[in-house]
Amino acid sequence: MNPQSILTLFDDNALRAMGPLLALAAGALLVLLAGIVPILGSARGLIVMATLGVTAALQIDHWRDPIGPVLDATYMADKGTAAFGLMFVAATLLAWLYSVHYYKEDRPFQGEHDFLMLVTPLGMTMMAGAQDLLVFFVGLEVLSIPLYALAAFRRNRLRSVEAGMKYFLLGAFAAAFFLYGAGLIYMASGSVTFSDLRGAATHSPLFQAGVALVMASVFFKVSVFPFHLWVPDVYEGSPTPVTALMATGTKAAAFAFLLNAAFLIPPVQSTLVVAIAVITMAVGNLGALMQKDVKRMLAYSGIAHAGTILLVLAGYMNGDILRGAAFDAAVFYLGAYVFTAAGAFGLLAVLEQSDHPVTTFESLKGLAQRRPYVAAAMTLFMLSLGGIPATGGFLGKWFVFSVSYRSGFVAATILGALLSVVGMAYYLRVIVAMYMQPESKDAGPREAQAPGLPMACATAVCVVFVIAMGVMPNLFLDRLP
Amino acid sequence: MDHLTWLTFLPLIGAALVLLTPSSAAQAQRMIALATTLAVAVLGVMIYRDFDSSILGAQQVVSIPWFEIRGGPAIRYTLGIDGISLLMVALTSLLMPIVILSTWGHIDKRVKEFMVWMLVMETGMLGVFLSLDLVLFYFFWEISLIPLYFMVGIWGGERRIYATIKFFLYTLAGSLVMLVAVIAMLYQFNSADIPTLTELAAALPADKQGWLFAGFALAFAIKVPVMPFHTWLADAHTEAPTSGSVVLAGVLLKMGTYGLLRFCIAMFPAAAVQWAPLFMVLGAAGIVYGAFLAMAQNDLKRLVACSSVSHLGYVILGMFALTSAGLQGGVLQMVSHGMSTGMLFLLVGMIYERRHTRALDEFGGIAHSMPLFAIFLVIAVLSSAALPGLNGFVGEYLILKGAFDANQTLAIVGVLGVIFGSVYLLVATRRVLFGPLNKRENRELLDLNAREIATLAPIVLFIVWIGVAPTPFLNKSQGAVDVIVRRCDEARALKLATVTADPADAAANLTTPTRR
Repeated sequence: MNPQSILTLFDDNALRAMGPLLALAAGALLVLLAGIVPILGSARGLIVMATLGVTAALQIDHWRDPIGPVLDATYMADKGTAAFGLMFVAATLLAWLYSVHYYKEDRPFQGEHDFLMLVTPLGMTMMAGAQDLLVFFVGLEVLSIPLYALAAFRRNRLRSVEAGMKYFLLGAFAAAFFLYGAGLIYMASGSVTFSDLRGAATHSPLFQAGVALVMASVFFKVSVFPFHLWVPDVYEGSPTPVTALMATGTKAAAFAFLLNAAFLIPPVQSTLVVAIAVITMAVGNLGALMQKDVKRMLAYSGIAHAGTILLVLAGYMNGDILRGAAFDAAVFYLGAYVFTAAGAFGLLAVLEQSDHPVTTFESLKGLAQRRPYVAAAMTLFMLSLGGIPATGGFLGKWFVFSVSYRSGFVAATILGALLSVVGMAYYLRVIVAMYMQPESKDAGPREAQAPGLPMACATAVCVVFVIAMGVMPNLFLDRLP
Repeated sequence: MDHLTWLTFLPLIGAALVLLTPSSAAQAQRMIALATTLAVAVLGVMIYRDFDSSILGAQQVVSIPWFEIRGGPAIRYTLGIDGISLLMVALTSLLMPIVILSTWGHIDKRVKEFMVWMLVMETGMLGVFLSLDLVLFYFFWEISLIPLYFMVGIWGGERRIYATIKFFLYTLAGSLVMLVAVIAMLYQFNSADIPTLTELAAALPADKQGWLFAGFALAFAIKVPVMPFHTWLADAHTEAPTSGSVVLAGVLLKMGTYGLLRFCIAMFPAAAVQWAPLFMVLGAAGIVYGAFLAMAQNDLKRLVACSSVSHLGYVILGMFALTSAGLQGGVLQMVSHGMSTGMLFLLVGMIYERRHTRALDEFGGIAHSMPLFAIFLVIAVLSSAALPGLNGFVGEYLILKGAFDANQTLAIVGVLGVIFGSVYLLVATRRVLFGPLNKRENRELLDLNAREIATLAPIVLFIVWIGVAPTPFLNKSQGAVDVIVRRCDEARALKLATVTADPADAAANLTTPTRR
């Protein structure tokens, strides 16, 4: 392709489509600059919020007036991308708000931290809008590399460094898988752009091997069985606000790509996808049941939720009739999960900051008496994760089960329903510890430190959204594409 | 706003008010809760008065669009009331002030939270009985789980955490299987409106109804609880605080029987006809088994809990007789059981607050030191044992009459249950009230105070009222029950017609037309 034709690709539409990405990139660079320019230094928080605000505004603009495929059909700026884009902005904003007062000893590096954090939604948005395997790969790396660094951000803590290292090594493997798979697909069909692949000969073994490798890599990011083993260690070791970002944003971004790329998987394999989904739910829920640490428990719960959402994919593959409903279910479920999980991890960050360095079930005992608001919000998030009505989690679960039921997987739906009873068992344990057990004597002295304005705001946002999604879903459903 | 919405959400407003008070203002929280429940009771009585028994379907309906899912039915916020839900709503709204009043005696820590949960619970229960939209019903159904989970878990006895988690998970397992059945209904008929679904589902062939019936029945059978699922109940009752037990026995369990009636029987009559013998057997087994369990208890509260299993066995037996008498008896027995068992739990609570034990052998001769208590206990026991002239008799008589028409053997088992019931109830009464007063602690017991009398007196009023003049109450539910009976008769006739192809079967069916 000669330079001239590349220039013609960047027409007005393309520039508008790139708007959110450019805003994020510019904002991130400004944050980095703020580290060395003293005038900007005090305004760093403002820059972060302004960047996310502008990005959200641009995404809403895309929502109102979708652009369609741009840049030679390698990137899609439609309502779906905008919906996911807004979700990523929300996830980043929440994680960032929780991180403001989280670090104590690492405070000098807050600038780098905020820069890295602001780069992640850029990668996520690229992943969600990608209509091309290579564009997706670039997005994936733009997301992953900051996350590797963020996971190891508390560099004087062994667990944090271990988490970063583990995530990096396994992530590098997954990336290599992806590239190899994309290479095989290119060999078999001569293209890596979805618009070309749609008509390609998908039955050749080479092509299918390529798809399998690509999917394995994406399943790694979504944390689906059997690629979920890294999750508990990495989630536990990473700084908690980073965990919140990983659990919500990364999962949603990888899933958005799965929906876009679902056509690559032959429809006959939907049974395999459902089987993987059910096994993932089982592994996640049973694993969570055995944990003593709440953060680790939430990591396993995240695996279980990844399994549940994977049920949608099978419905999505199963034909055009269900595609709309499956998309709605996926967006609603992931949206509810973003606010619920970010809130739950965020509250753990609040507790770590003042109460206790680690958050075991033991340390939660008597929390309702010590910090009634934290306990009440945590209860709401646990009920939403467990899928109890009047929370977004319930409706999300219901929509997902509706899709899997309608695509004919009745047994899987019932199994999923029963496995979520197992899930409820460990969410209840959190509530039991907070409300029903007295504070343990040997817990040591505790300073009841106020969570600070940013954390309180983030929690309030999560609470409002979890309840609003559960009680007035029409506010969200009516606006979906 | 309309009456039904006010009725349902007034408790929630009360809960919000309680939340606004400072934690230390326990008395204010109690008064707000009491005032709210009394206001709900007044509203309930008004709705009861305005109810027109000549209308068969739901009345006072309010319906507002709620949300829509792509490719699925529109979900609406629909409330309405018919003869069956009317009695349940009346029971709930009248029992709640009594329950709140009873908490003065035993809830003295974390009063605020308790009152909030009680009021949230009332909204949940009323919502279950009033919902005419399947999704809305499911909403309220699951929400009503949470308050009791906290009540047992925070204010319960020694093994409260075990009991409360067991209760929650048991019920949730049933509910989630029901969720799949709900999804199936929504997409099969593309509607979430319960009256519409009732019409449409009844037209399904019996084998298709069977699956849906099973999905719903499991959830409701666990909630009631029907016999093999009853183990959570004894634990939950034993560990729950008195007021929690009263609500659990008085109203929450009725959500199960109400669901069986409203969904399993009314929506899937063909499947109900097919499954009725099984449920009648389980009901009869529950009657006898519960009675034997009760006989073996030394803990007074556990004894009442087991008697609850036995009494709900009657409701199941009567309802699945699928005759007018059986269903009417079942509905009335739901109300009666709420009152008599609720009152028994209140009385057990009162004696426990004084003696801090519930072991039968710790008591004896208490009639001498607490004559008023003795009078109330005897009334409650006789009502529970179905003495003619009190409420329990009317329901059980109708149930047994209905069951006798459907299956004579099981009816006889049910009658035996009445005898067993009298045995454990009267033996327990004798051991508590009569005999020598030989324990010093029992001699110094104070008799009931004015507040306690005020909690019990309204129940006694209704126990006698229903017992002497049940007809006005039965008239309220007659219309709704007739509709259900007609559906079941049609299903039975259809089944008979298909079976008549085989002459031998037809002959057998002719000799015992309602037996299978």
